[in-house]
Amino acid sequence: MKWGPATEVAVFYKVENDIATIEFNHPTAKVNILTSDVIKQFNGFVTQAQNDSNIKVLVIRSGKKDVFIAGADIKEIEGIATSDVGEKKANAGQNVFNHLEDLTIPTVAVIDGVALGGGCELALACTYRIGTFNEKIRIGLPEVNLGILPGFGGTYRLPKVVGISQALTIILGAKTVSGADALKIGLFDRLIMASNIEFEIKKFCDGIKDSSTRKAEFQRKPKGMQAFLDNNFIGHVLTFEMAGKNVRQQAKGFYPAPVKALEVMKETFAAPREKALDLEAKGFGHLVVSDVSKNLIKVFYLTEKFKKLMPPECAALTPRNIKKCAVLGAGVMGGGIAQILSANEISARVKDVNYDALAKGLQAAAKVYHQLVQRRRLKPSQATAKMAKISTTLDYTGFANCDAVIEAVVEKMEVKKVVFAQASKAVAADTLLLSNTSALSVTEMAKSVENPSRFMGFHFFNPVHRMPLIELVYTKETSPQTMADALGLVRRLGKTPIIVKDSPGFLVNRILLAYINEAGYILEEGATVASIDRVMMDFGMPMGPLTLSDEVGLDVGVKVLHILNDAFGERFKPAPIFEKILEKGLLGKKSGMGFYRHRQNRSSNPFIETLRPAKVISQEQLRELSERMIFVMINEASRCLDEGVIDGPDGVDVGMIMGTGFPPFRGGLLRYADQYGIQGVIDVLTSLHERFDAERFKPSTYLLQMAQKRTTFYPV
Amino acid sequence: MERIAIVAGLRTPFCKMGSVFNDVSAQELAAFSVRELLERSAVDPKNIDEVIFGNVGQPADAANISRIIAMLSGVPFTTPAFTVNRNCASGVESVVTAALKIKSGEARFVLAGGTESMSNYPFLFKKELQEILSELSRAKDFGSKLKAIFKLRPGHYSPRIGLQMGLTDPACGLNMGQTAEVLAKEFGITREEQDEFALVSHQRAMQSRDILKEEIVPVIPGTKYKGVVEFDNGVRENQTIEALARLKPIFDRHSGTVTAGNSSQVTDGAVALFVMSESRAKELNLKPMGFLRAFAFAGVEPARMGIGPAHAIPMVLQKAGMTLKDIKAIEINEAFAVQVLACLKALASEKFATDFGYSGLTGSIDRAILNVNGGAIALGHPVGATGSRLILTMLKHMNRKDLSTGLVSLCIGGGQGAAAILER
Repeated sequence: MKWGPATEVAVFYKVENDIATIEFNHPTAKVNILTSDVIKQFNGFVTQAQNDSNIKVLVIRSGKKDVFIAGADIKEIEGIATSDVGEKKANAGQNVFNHLEDLTIPTVAVIDGVALGGGCELALACTYRIGTFNEKIRIGLPEVNLGILPGFGGTYRLPKVVGISQALTIILGAKTVSGADALKIGLFDRLIMASNIEFEIKKFCDGIKDSSTRKAEFQRKPKGMQAFLDNNFIGHVLTFEMAGKNVRQQAKGFYPAPVKALEVMKETFAAPREKALDLEAKGFGHLVVSDVSKNLIKVFYLTEKFKKLMPPECAALTPRNIKKCAVLGAGVMGGGIAQILSANEISARVKDVNYDALAKGLQAAAKVYHQLVQRRRLKPSQATAKMAKISTTLDYTGFANCDAVIEAVVEKMEVKKVVFAQASKAVAADTLLLSNTSALSVTEMAKSVENPSRFMGFHFFNPVHRMPLIELVYTKETSPQTMADALGLVRRLGKTPIIVKDSPGFLVNRILLAYINEAGYILEEGATVASIDRVMMDFGMPMGPLTLSDEVGLDVGVKVLHILNDAFGERFKPAPIFEKILEKGLLGKKSGMGFYRHRQNRSSNPFIETLRPAKVISQEQLRELSERMIFVMINEASRCLDEGVIDGPDGVDVGMIMGTGFPPFRGGLLRYADQYGIQGVIDVLTSLHERFDAERFKPSTYLLQMAQKRTTFYPV
Repeated sequence: MERIAIVAGLRTPFCKMGSVFNDVSAQELAAFSVRELLERSAVDPKNIDEVIFGNVGQPADAANISRIIAMLSGVPFTTPAFTVNRNCASGVESVVTAALKIKSGEARFVLAGGTESMSNYPFLFKKELQEILSELSRAKDFGSKLKAIFKLRPGHYSPRIGLQMGLTDPACGLNMGQTAEVLAKEFGITREEQDEFALVSHQRAMQSRDILKEEIVPVIPGTKYKGVVEFDNGVRENQTIEALARLKPIFDRHSGTVTAGNSSQVTDGAVALFVMSESRAKELNLKPMGFLRAFAFAGVEPARMGIGPAHAIPMVLQKAGMTLKDIKAIEINEAFAVQVLACLKALASEKFATDFGYSGLTGSIDRAILNVNGGAIALGHPVGATGSRLILTMLKHMNRKDLSTGLVSLCIGGGQGAAAILER
């Protein structure tokens, strides 16, 4: 017999009177996962219950706190090499759940926590699903996030339980719902008290074991618009039509999973079970071997890893509990920071030099809350309470009892140093000092404060409430406790950190500016603004480089380019056309005109075209252009790794995906490079280098060494 | 016995109804002053034993508004809170209740104050409309729904205005302005005297703009957050006696004397104060602005509510064992110019003193020590907050001028008077 996790007993069976219970409780892991082996164990007990004529009800529950079943085994899914294997795996799971569904006795899934993917599908195969009042409950089918579709009958059973319109929302949008919402949409039949769960389960079971009890009594009847969409032919046509439009718009041709899921659901909606599940399994098999799915799974691992990031030297330290945080500099960024602090129950004390600036900060924060209220994520009174957590000041009163200071003043070293020198005197000797600088030297800044061991870069991305990344920048003096405190704060704010060494432009902006600058050179050579942006959108970027520049402001970008140019030389020389555009004051959105005109309808700014030779660019050339823009990033990222700015390719990929929206389905910048082939990257760069005689295309030593050693960024 | 210390206080600017604080609720207004008071004093809010605010028009969405204020301002949820209402003296009542709690050993440190958003007084449905609407919501079938709908008449939609109802005394049926007219006739106080008094209030408030800044927290009000409010906005810079004389009497068109110009303004505002035992202040290393020496409340005829201070003042002097001569500064809330003037006349009158047994306690009040930084005619009268403002303004004034004693007093709608003596 082989020992190891695969053969561990993770499912248990017990009988009390006429109620049988199957309990998922993995002996070593924190959560329950549906591996093939676990499913097999489960199936054995289903048979056992089936064969015992004394059993009147079968209860399925979990022995884990806050978890029912977290889903299928992602490692197993990742390892599926052919569509056939995928299809078979899906079939195997489907058969077990069919077996469960076909029992003549009623079955009850008791959900007191997370029930995702396969866990949700198992529950769907039960007669009843009851949840507890646990706030940790999340139930849903997020498979499309991993580039696959629910393969254990989810696409077939969910529409039967919650109606087709809700089912499409959940499956295509990878949505998970709370217990209360699950009850509302009919996914749960009852909510029970967790504090008295044994009694409550028994009571529920006693109520249903009588064969006269009809499931229909528990079923919620849809009303209004939803009833219309769910209950008649025209409604169905409309629902699928709308869902199709949404999915195509959001997937932009890059994400096949939601499109496939919709296709499967449309076909199986009225089909008999056998046929429906067969189509589902085929769809699963088709998707599971796609590069997109493999990449999305890798990105999933990355984000999970980085969410929990903790350097070994900090592992034993307790991050301080930050109750109040000062924000230096209001404005849009400071306001955004104050908002994210207050949203996470941290009191914010915002300082600026005049009331207009403070008012702007409050406006920025209020705007975010206003949107949350409009989207019904917050009640107006909750938004008021959150806004009340932000107070403003012109001086340093109220700083003495702050646990941390986040600086977000204008990007000028002299100003930042003055502000930090003052602030560090106004706070306690060990108060955490954080700078939101996007490119200035953190080491230099730290010189202005007493006890620089408490100083770090804490770089948010704009807009603060939407961008999940924070770049943590350490100096030689930063203490492990400071790192632990900063990581604790990142987590508290619900963000994901990457840890980078202090170096000009840090990581994300350095790589990003190489990209935007390249777009400038290409513009100069004659490509149109729209075509440059289009080609990168086609690559999968959420917006093109010049649109991005308009959002951030060209002045900001060029300023960082100068810093990088000073530090790294020639290769970061701002594209000359940028300087010309700057001179005209065409900064972007904030000045109303940039590469585009920002009025009611955005349109290309015709003035830009007059600054360079007109030239028609063929589709073929455009493809080459996208390679130029991507490959200068790879080149620069490899240098960052070489210099130890970050300690691995995964940090680069997390940074670029979360900080700039680099397309997750590509697996990340360096994952993309690996897939393209390092030698291939070098070849392209070399030929560009020869053609333009520009240093920025010269392949880095790091890349060349990799090619020589035949290695890749990620181990194979 | 331990003295009751008032160690710090702050208030929002007082702003005319419907102006800059139109979108700000009474609880938010108070939270601005509390939060900033906590920030500036660097007091750990954990030390607060109780929160007591005065508020008159208690908002429907903030039952027990003190608790809501506490939650909005970062006071821990473990600290209890309750609200007091003594109409126009609610802001004194909160401080007095705090003092009584402290004296009885129930608390050592109370966050007290008062708040009022008169901009947000509700318009109410008439009872008939309320009944038709609830009938409609109870109606099961289309027929009975229709029946309910057909009962509606245009007249049902005219609202009952909360502010108007609040300013009308249900016992005597007079509104506050009409009670002021009663005093004008009884004490023979002319329109000219009243306008003159009002003009001084504006002039003094104007001169004290920078002084008053010491007690004001600048507020950037939502929901627009367009700009800062640093000053009370009811003070009229170029107020003239001629302009005041041109105004028509409001409550008695023809023979009346009370105008919008010589009455207090309807205003939004909030005040927060730290009230604690002297020993607690020492422990927390806080220097008291002053102490509450004595307080008194008097009941008067509802139709003559404005005369309240003329009774409360001698009563509080007696309790403190003082006479008017011992008092170095006085604030009498300017609900109406005529009402303050009537009180002054009564206090100076031998007959009044003998009639009510106040002999030896009162006398004529030197206008030079009365409402020296202006009063409610210029600054406004957010009813629940005013009492606390008088205490705050008085203590700041006493500290600025190094005065030993001060007296604050208010008339109270419904027929009461309040008075308190502060000392250093």
